[in-house]
Amino acid sequence: MSPSSAVAEAAIARPSAGRHTLALFKSELQLVFGRVRTWVLLGVLAAVPVLIGVAIKLSGAEGGAEGFLGQIAGNGLFLIVASLGLSLPFFLPTAVTVISGESLAGESSLGTLRNLLTAPAGRSRLLAAKMVALAIFCLAATLTIWVAGLIVGFILFPVGDVLLLSGSTISLGEGLLRALAIAVVIALSLLGLAGIGLFVSSLTSTPLAAMAATFGTFIVLGIMSAIPQIDVIHPWLLMYGWTSFADLLRDPPYWDAIGRNLLLQAGYLAVFYAAAWARITSRDIV
Amino acid sequence: MGAAQRSRRWLVPVTAVAVVAGVGTLGPVVADASPKLPEISAQELLAKVQTAKVDGLSGTVHSSADLGLPALPGVTGGDSGSASGQLTEFLSGEHTARVAFAAPDKARVSVLDNMAERVLTTDGKSAWAYDSAKREAVKLQVPEHKSGKPEKLPQSYDPQAVAKQFLAAIDPSTKVDVSGTEKVAGRDAYKLRLTPKTDQTTVGSVTLAVDSKTYVPLQVTVLPRTGKDPAVEIGFTEVSFAVPAANTFTFTPPKGVEVTQPKAPTTRPDVPKSLPGKPDTAKKPDIKKPGTAANEPTVIGEGWSSVVMIKGVKLSGDGGPVDQFLAGAKSVEGSWGKGKIVTSKMVNALITDDGRVFAGLVTAQTLQDAAAKAPR
Repeated sequence: MSPSSAVAEAAIARPSAGRHTLALFKSELQLVFGRVRTWVLLGVLAAVPVLIGVAIKLSGAEGGAEGFLGQIAGNGLFLIVASLGLSLPFFLPTAVTVISGESLAGESSLGTLRNLLTAPAGRSRLLAAKMVALAIFCLAATLTIWVAGLIVGFILFPVGDVLLLSGSTISLGEGLLRALAIAVVIALSLLGLAGIGLFVSSLTSTPLAAMAATFGTFIVLGIMSAIPQIDVIHPWLLMYGWTSFADLLRDPPYWDAIGRNLLLQAGYLAVFYAAAWARITSRDIV
Repeated sequence: MGAAQRSRRWLVPVTAVAVVAGVGTLGPVVADASPKLPEISAQELLAKVQTAKVDGLSGTVHSSADLGLPALPGVTGGDSGSASGQLTEFLSGEHTARVAFAAPDKARVSVLDNMAERVLTTDGKSAWAYDSAKREAVKLQVPEHKSGKPEKLPQSYDPQAVAKQFLAAIDPSTKVDVSGTEKVAGRDAYKLRLTPKTDQTTVGSVTLAVDSKTYVPLQVTVLPRTGKDPAVEIGFTEVSFAVPAANTFTFTPPKGVEVTQPKAPTTRPDVPKSLPGKPDTAKKPDIKKPGTAANEPTVIGEGWSSVVMIKGVKLSGDGGPVDQFLAGAKSVEGSWGKGKIVTSKMVNALITDDGRVFAGLVTAQTLQDAAAKAPR
């Protein structure tokens, strides 16, 4: 990394950014979290526990539903788990799709990518900064639900010792820690999709097209995992191990499925990050 | 930067795909290398399995079954409540369970479902069944004579003799050999293979992986006659022979859990059945169709080529999914009458027009031969 290129890049693209890598990462984070749409997305995610909590409070369904939803009325902590679980199939992937589709294509559409790309040595670093910002957004998204679920759950419902899937109980504090671990695991589960989004975003200069294509890919993968005839390839599909987060609520936690899921996500991320890198570093400047 | 140089960058993601796919598919194969173990004869191994005695164990069991059963439209997985639902559930798909056992009568099985868990546990005095999805705990009664006293086999029992008897008994129909070694759950194991001599069955072979130190069977694999993918594979993915702590087997119904206690004495939960130590070596290939209590199934033939017959089954007429399914099945006829034959990788069934069902782990021809011999 030559200092001159860093200066050139920083000077042209982001006057506020310094010459160090850290500054690039910081400016990238500022870019993601400076946008209104990021906060709208996080707001929508924060509304998930509120909606579920209010609905259950109003209907007063005591033990009616199966699974985590049915446990909320008895222990507000399960609002966190249920909200995270219910956001995982749709809301969280949507948010990740929007942010990742925007990341490179957004710069491209604004014309700022051109400036960033004129410094060839900075391209890999730029991509890394984009990916790190995406990962931090994933974590911010799940932590938003965790915090919102915690607040709403503690206001609306009684809280206490946490009943695990295995039929034993743990203290509230440990329960909160396990819920936090679930939030982290789900954030990591989204990285595969974030990688796909980053790659698609590097292909086009229209953010909306990137979002649509990424979400389309996500839907196709989802449909494929619902077709029993092709169950041979199911373990290779992005969302195959997504529900494994619930294994953290066993006694003791069952790590195998979680580990396999994270390995799969790492595989997706490696492939699509490498593809995005190949694309961005070999791209012509237009 | 030249165009060629730039396009070479695409080799990086291509390599990434290759590495990821390679690790994903070859990884498990490499780990399965066969360990070197001292030679042992089938009879010796069988005798050791008979005397295998462990004070306790715990581990994770993984089962996968692919009998090639066609999915009936509109019939979903299993209702875990009913016995027949549980049977169909375990005949298809993959399951993971945590098991623990302590001599003489403590056992625990937790089936790890998707975002749920079903627990069966007994500490010798009381037994519990817990379903996390419904948050229901059922207290089961343990039959009096079982508590405290270990189940002892007759003292005169000589494992060598039993092994010999067993081999002699199955010799006419089955070839038994030690087919090699493998690693199961990180432990070195011998492979004891039972191969049916008849070609009337769809079973290619049944292989037991027997731990080389404790002689506890660690894995059972059933291979079909055609194809090389196992039809059934159940075994430990992780095992420890340390005696689990006593509190592993106790169950305290937590707050917010509905507890029921059936008044009528229930049978002991089938916990120990799925535990090793009682190897199912004499596995008889018979399939019992659930839900036909009024019509007792009859077994025709013996050994590998046994066929189960159920009379008076009314399957068709309502235009339901079974009808639609049978409409696609092959029609056959013979001296026994007319019927439809349903074939799959392992299980074949013949449904005659006069309401008899013949099923077994046998070839379609064997089914028709059995039908010809069967009483009306």
